[in-house]
Amino acid sequence: MKFVGEHLLPGQLGHFFAILAFVASMVATVAYYNVVKGKEPLARESWKRLARWSFILQSAAVVGVFTCLYVILYNHYFEYKYAWRNTSRDLPIQYLLSSLWSDQEGSFLLWSIWNSILGIFLIRTSKNWEAPVMTIFSLAQFIMASMLLGIFILGYKVGSNPFMLLREAPENQLAPIFQTPDYMQHIHDGNGLNVTLQNYWMVIHPPVLFLGFASMIIPFAFAFAGLWVKDYTGWVKPVQPWALFAIMMLGTGIMMGAAWAYESLNFGGYWAWDPVENASLVPWLTMVAGVHTLLAYKATGHSLKSTFFFFFISYVLILYSSFLTKSGVLGDTSVHSFTDMGMTAQLLISMLVFTIPAIGLLIIRRKDIPSVKKEENSYSREFWLFVGSLILLIAAIQITFTTSIPVWNKVLSGTGLKSLFNMNDIAPPSDSIFHYNKIQIWIAIVVGILTAIVQFMRYKDTPRGEITKKLAVPTVVSLLLTGLVAWKGTITYDTYGAGFLTAIYLMLFASIYAIVGNFFYIFSGLKGKLKNAGASVAHIGFGMVLLGVLISSAKMEVISLDRMKMLGDGIFTKESKQNPRENIMLPKDVPVQMGDYHVTYTGDSVAQGDPKTYYVVQYEKKDRQTGKALERFTLYPDAFVNKKENALSSNPASRHYLTKDIFTYVSAAPNRDEAAKSDTTPYVTHEMKQGDSVFFSKGFIVLKGLNTKPQNRNYVPQNGDLAVGAELEVYTQTDDHFKLQPIYFIRDSSYQYSVEDTLAPLNLNVRFSKIMPAENKIELKIKEATSFNDYIVMKALIFPYINVLWLGILVTIFGTGMSIYQKVRRR
Amino acid sequence: MKKTNIILLVVIAVAIGVIVTMVGDFSTYETFATAREKEGKEFHVIGKLDTLQAMHYDPIKDANLFSFYVHDKTGESHKVVFYGAKPTDFEKAESIVLTGKMEGNEFHCNKILMKCPSKYKDDQVAVSNKQI
Repeated sequence: MKFVGEHLLPGQLGHFFAILAFVASMVATVAYYNVVKGKEPLARESWKRLARWSFILQSAAVVGVFTCLYVILYNHYFEYKYAWRNTSRDLPIQYLLSSLWSDQEGSFLLWSIWNSILGIFLIRTSKNWEAPVMTIFSLAQFIMASMLLGIFILGYKVGSNPFMLLREAPENQLAPIFQTPDYMQHIHDGNGLNVTLQNYWMVIHPPVLFLGFASMIIPFAFAFAGLWVKDYTGWVKPVQPWALFAIMMLGTGIMMGAAWAYESLNFGGYWAWDPVENASLVPWLTMVAGVHTLLAYKATGHSLKSTFFFFFISYVLILYSSFLTKSGVLGDTSVHSFTDMGMTAQLLISMLVFTIPAIGLLIIRRKDIPSVKKEENSYSREFWLFVGSLILLIAAIQITFTTSIPVWNKVLSGTGLKSLFNMNDIAPPSDSIFHYNKIQIWIAIVVGILTAIVQFMRYKDTPRGEITKKLAVPTVVSLLLTGLVAWKGTITYDTYGAGFLTAIYLMLFASIYAIVGNFFYIFSGLKGKLKNAGASVAHIGFGMVLLGVLISSAKMEVISLDRMKMLGDGIFTKESKQNPRENIMLPKDVPVQMGDYHVTYTGDSVAQGDPKTYYVVQYEKKDRQTGKALERFTLYPDAFVNKKENALSSNPASRHYLTKDIFTYVSAAPNRDEAAKSDTTPYVTHEMKQGDSVFFSKGFIVLKGLNTKPQNRNYVPQNGDLAVGAELEVYTQTDDHFKLQPIYFIRDSSYQYSVEDTLAPLNLNVRFSKIMPAENKIELKIKEATSFNDYIVMKALIFPYINVLWLGILVTIFGTGMSIYQKVRRR
Repeated sequence: MKKTNIILLVVIAVAIGVIVTMVGDFSTYETFATAREKEGKEFHVIGKLDTLQAMHYDPIKDANLFSFYVHDKTGESHKVVFYGAKPTDFEKAESIVLTGKMEGNEFHCNKILMKCPSKYKDDQVAVSNKQI
């Protein structure tokens, strides 16, 4: 069958580029491998030329795939499943990129592009490390390209082709619509991008996160190259700035995701220990550990083996996170993982391809890796760097262990152990956030304190009195500051008992200590030399992140508490704790008290070209004594309203202060159309003479007289009409005064019509239905619709000092950037 | 013994300790029947919305009370009470994972995880009334 109206060229071109990238990266892998293994200098040189050109060719092909896919999305070619699934015609143009990487294939593509860019950069800069490092890179690209193939090899589907046509999709092949050649006539619009992804963070967060993912391969590749060519130490120097770059980009990417969650999702926060978040945090932790053992090695020769281990495990964990989110294994436990696309085996293989050789080689050659025989002194910096890295490793193990629960279930049932011991599936902890918090808080305490102290130690050995002398001032200052915050801040987070509150105070001290300690170190340790202060600045930022997280969560307060209903339930019962009643109903135009504010919902508004509905919520803070308004502002929490299904997907709006955020979102709103339709109040018939009056709930209506030349918007006079208007006056209890004129007319001397008149503010509908000349009366039909109650259900939270967190992140990024600059310059 | 080895042993001991305490936190997937046997403890129940019975959410009366009926895996249908606003797209959910406990004949849940039929990222929506 020949189909009409399809645009096949960009798809075919794109698929060609995908195959080209696959082949070229395979050639690059083999060629680079031969450069490493080759003996003849001339042959190696020509292999190298081939390898370089094929890597550049595959990079161009990946960009080609990206371009073709973008062209398809941009032109709304809905014959392609990718376009149909992720875009629609009304999607604002800036979100086309978000829809490009919203699906699995697009995210692989993004990753692949970054790999290519970093690869080309390394070809230019890594000198004699190029061949072994680029072998790893090309292999990674080969695997990445296989994810976009979508062809069957020996009966297995390899990869998923983003250029698949809608009619070719397995679920559509038998659909009757695709049996007609002109099916495109019936496909007018796509499914649209998931509304939670229509946020500017979703344009910027994925590229940064995937740059972080991609850059994690560089330390892995250098470490592997070192083992492979048996140059166990030479790789350390070039890798250092890259390792810092990787933690900087991955950290930035993760925290941009947190910012997106805070601004666009309404679970009320920036971090929820969701498996997808955890999976990207864990490699960051292990890479941070690796960067610190690397420092220890460079200064003293200790900890080289652990550095190898941390660099390997970090990239393996990146691949594991990609496996968790993309294989669908998280199904029951995560909010935002992909569903299974039948690529589980392929993802698993791609993980093992890197894991087994790396860990295997590390075990086989462990004896050859140089190490220092003399053990570390307890008063040395390298010893505590090593301890701190192990603490981070424990954090990583704990997070991974719980996040992997669905994997444990699969393993247990796969190996038959489950049936052997008659076990049930394990479910995640029912209070998962506290489960993580109660362990991670202790790790944060230890890490915070180590961050403050260890910089003051010297490598090899520190004179005994020196630490106490140098630490005395920062310690006292931190204790004083902690006391001040504890006294002024009154942290009384007792939901989980006194033990946890103690931990909160300890963490408060630890995070302040980290900030103060590193601040002092810049002056006492570095003598104020700012260009070497990158690490200290990054540590100050890290301390601020800890502090911001601690205060904003421990003092987070829900102000939209429904206290009325709470009293009804009995505030002191067991139930009232379990039922926090955090949503409050705001009837339109009725002020409701929330915390210090009187809050009024005054209506909603929509704008042309913007699919969202904005709810107007006014806040007013009054002085308790005088009642004078101290502060007034309006927030516009918005939502995508799907009229058909009455579904509401809302985005929060926040009022930002220097010291706190007021965070609100709409959790429910009535469906207006449905309410109007379901109004079945009947009309009531009244017979009236001139001067008669009729009462209704808000007042009365008087018939003033009849008008033979009536005028009404809804009535267009025609020749031969016999029309009469009833002149009505409406008086209300509040002394308002309105006029109504329903019309009755006879057209073509036999057909009777009536034109209704309505009074919207009073929900009044009046029809003039009959004239009774004999009795000198007319008949009116009056309906008073039940007034429609407009309202919203809202939730409002206060996050105090959340700006400390955001500022801390910026400071950490800046400090890491300073270190990278310093390391690169010194080379 | 080298200090590094002692440290490693301590770390391993701590890690094992942490994991053992963690396993105590882990929950299990239950049915309504098995959850009732252990009334008052929190469980995960996987089920489907019982469309024959009405769900109820009237924000004008109480904005924090949403009730509906769910079939669990064995087909048993029970009333479920969620103290919070009704989640978006609730009707479309293909299956639902509830976290909570049995109280009498009702299942009181504090978290709902929904899985929707279409194959997208962010298909699942979790709603919880727990504080972060």
